[in-house]
Amino acid sequence: MKLKKLIAISMASVLTIAMIGCGNSNQGTEGAEAAAETEAPAAEEAAETEQTAEAAQAPTEGELKYTDITLGEDYTDLTATIKVLNHRTDMGSSDYPGKNWEAYIADFNQMYPNITVDLEVLSNYADDGLLRLQDADWGDVMEIPAVDKADLNEYYLPLGTLEDITTQANMCQEWSYEGIAYGVPTTAAAQGIVYNKKVFEAAGVQTLPKTPDEFITALKAIKEKTDAIPLYTNYAAEWTMGAWDAYIWGSATGNAAYKNHDILHTSNPFADPGDGTHAYNVYKILFDAVEQGLIEEDYSTTDWEGCKGMINNGEIGCMVLGSWSVTQMQSAGDHPDDIGYMPFPITVDGKQYATAGPDFNWGVNINSTPENQAAGMVFIKWMTEQSGFSKNEGGLPIAASDTELPSVYDEFADVTFVSNAVPVEGEFDLLNNLNSESELMLDQEGNKKNMEIIEHAANADMSFDEIMDDWNARWTAAQEESNVEITN
Amino acid sequence: MKGVKKWVKSRKGQQTVIIIAFLVVPLTLLILFTYFPFAEMIKFSFYKMKYATPPAKRQFVGLDNYIKVFQRDDCFRALKLCGFYITGAMVQLVIALYLATVLSFKTRGGNIFKGVMFFPFLISGIAIGYIFKFFYTRDFVFDTVLQWCRFQLDQLPYWLRDQKVNNWALAASSVWRYFGQNMVLFIGAIMSVDSEMYEAAELDGANKIQQFFHIILPSIKTIVTLNIILSITGSLSAFDPPFVITRGGNGTGTYFVIMSDIAHTDQKVGLACAMAIVLFLIIFVATIIQKAVLKYLFRNSNADDETYAMKKKRLKGQKRRFITIKTAAAEGGQYR
Repeated sequence: MKLKKLIAISMASVLTIAMIGCGNSNQGTEGAEAAAETEAPAAEEAAETEQTAEAAQAPTEGELKYTDITLGEDYTDLTATIKVLNHRTDMGSSDYPGKNWEAYIADFNQMYPNITVDLEVLSNYADDGLLRLQDADWGDVMEIPAVDKADLNEYYLPLGTLEDITTQANMCQEWSYEGIAYGVPTTAAAQGIVYNKKVFEAAGVQTLPKTPDEFITALKAIKEKTDAIPLYTNYAAEWTMGAWDAYIWGSATGNAAYKNHDILHTSNPFADPGDGTHAYNVYKILFDAVEQGLIEEDYSTTDWEGCKGMINNGEIGCMVLGSWSVTQMQSAGDHPDDIGYMPFPITVDGKQYATAGPDFNWGVNINSTPENQAAGMVFIKWMTEQSGFSKNEGGLPIAASDTELPSVYDEFADVTFVSNAVPVEGEFDLLNNLNSESELMLDQEGNKKNMEIIEHAANADMSFDEIMDDWNARWTAAQEESNVEITN
Repeated sequence: MKGVKKWVKSRKGQQTVIIIAFLVVPLTLLILFTYFPFAEMIKFSFYKMKYATPPAKRQFVGLDNYIKVFQRDDCFRALKLCGFYITGAMVQLVIALYLATVLSFKTRGGNIFKGVMFFPFLISGIAIGYIFKFFYTRDFVFDTVLQWCRFQLDQLPYWLRDQKVNNWALAASSVWRYFGQNMVLFIGAIMSVDSEMYEAAELDGANKIQQFFHIILPSIKTIVTLNIILSITGSLSAFDPPFVITRGGNGTGTYFVIMSDIAHTDQKVGLACAMAIVLFLIIFVATIIQKAVLKYLFRNSNADDETYAMKKKRLKGQKRRFITIKTAAAEGGQYR
């Protein structure tokens, strides 16, 4: 009996101690919250001034700058071990048909034998990269995940002004903030459609379609004249559906400022402009293809790994994916020469455009030691200028000195590449905020809404205009929530 | 001071020290990894924030997130899907109870059956998801088996696409996974029923079905209640099958899948935390209601319980007498 009492008492005492501990910390945070609330406007102002001050002083003379590094001359005697995070799990294995990470690092060590690169590949990079970032000690170089632009300086080392870095590397504006660049693209891609040339030939499609109507007609011809699936949606892989969002910017408008400025201030951007352009007509291609049965029989059980071999063997007509996919489709079977890449079938005022944008960007940890930061920056510069990575992966050149287009873009001779412009001052996070608020997540893994287009088209429970009206309503509500000025 | 030292050295003091020393470790772990994160989650639910928003920039919004949970139509529409999983859970319990009863008695190859049926529980939920994804794919495993049974392919629905059947298909995968585990729990409980009870019942002329309802079911009612509560709670928070097999598409997005999307894709962490807390409260209330309902349903077996206790006492008395006679006989035998 006494023992029981004792247990009870000691339990109670331990619990009270714990409770007191918790209580205190809670009070502390509550107090802080209250303080934060009252001081919010002041704090915000302070933060703003702080940021501008930081931005102004960030890359001063004598500090580490991307543009100042001359590969093979600077830092050759630097000894460091850097940890690098990357998303290419396929390149982490020796089975990779192209050049794998081991080979790249071996090449890097020929020039910099004292810098040891400890490379880790993460399989679910978009999520895991963000999670890793929560710990300041994640490593030295990583591909920047979807952080808010305004928070870039808390995580990443400034590489120099955007103006300077643009002289040496393309498309660094994606991860720049207020004129300071924080990332250099690993590779870049233009958006088009990967297709099987033999299938299109067999269906009698002589010239590649240039408008949505021509494209649907071509798909119909494939369905009638061949056994191939005209358009394979890859619905079940989910992330592949997000690819559609990449076509609504430059490809569908020819306007470089559309993504980071125009759409933010447009009322009802998903309405039909009536001339076969803009977001409405991009998604309409998907809806029409599903509605008219021009996709695989059961979209709910598509197989991503399987589709690569299928398009290679001529069982699939085309797939809407970035140009990064081309090398994978080519190496998945015995007919690499049948795989081609065509511009997205939208013509704006008689001209075709293609959005060109960077893939992940390399960023350096701001919390690393100065030696590791220098080594990290050297690694990034080497990857950009010397490794040939972008070209090996079929991407557009990143190094400004490199102007040669890879053969993937043979069909893009008459196409103008449009690279999304930098957001205007004060609107760096506006697209992120509107995306999050409206839950459309345009070009930010907004896979769900595109999957719903297929579902509604297949189940015939919602017309395409109803879907677009719903998106417009969500976008408008988000614009109101963020107090965005509507200009057109 | 001296008093304390003396007390620590005393037997009583030693006991207390040991007890506290043993309790500190698990309690610290529990508080650090369960209650502290939970408290943090409650805190997040009052903020408008993304994952990567630094603490200073998080915006306090009061109860806004909770109001939004109730205003949004997708959250509570998703809760309706629990009906499929709860129905599945009931079917699963009935199957498990039936098989457990059969396998508790001498069955040829009983252990093999137990092993085979328990096996799915050992596979990870993600792997099961992929198994069923291929199982339900058009013209793959399931359709092939049905075609052996003379079904025509065009008569069969698209198992994961057709909204009339896809939720049932997903619930079925969950039944397949968990019924073996329920069965093993039931077998364990049934084993502890005194076998002399069956003899007594047989002597009284009770058939097997009567034995099941009047002896087995009342004796294992605690474990049945527990399984029902666990199954319904699990159904409310169904996640693995829809997340892996359909990614929540085509009207299969359960509350958890939607919550995961809101948190990870839409980056509305505060709202997702509020959803989690609302679900926690729903499960809490549902559990209390179930307890009350099950207490009401089993009220007769409580009455049975008393007679059961009496019966046991009586039987024990008989047994003891029987044993004394037996030992006496044996002893007698030894001397003979």
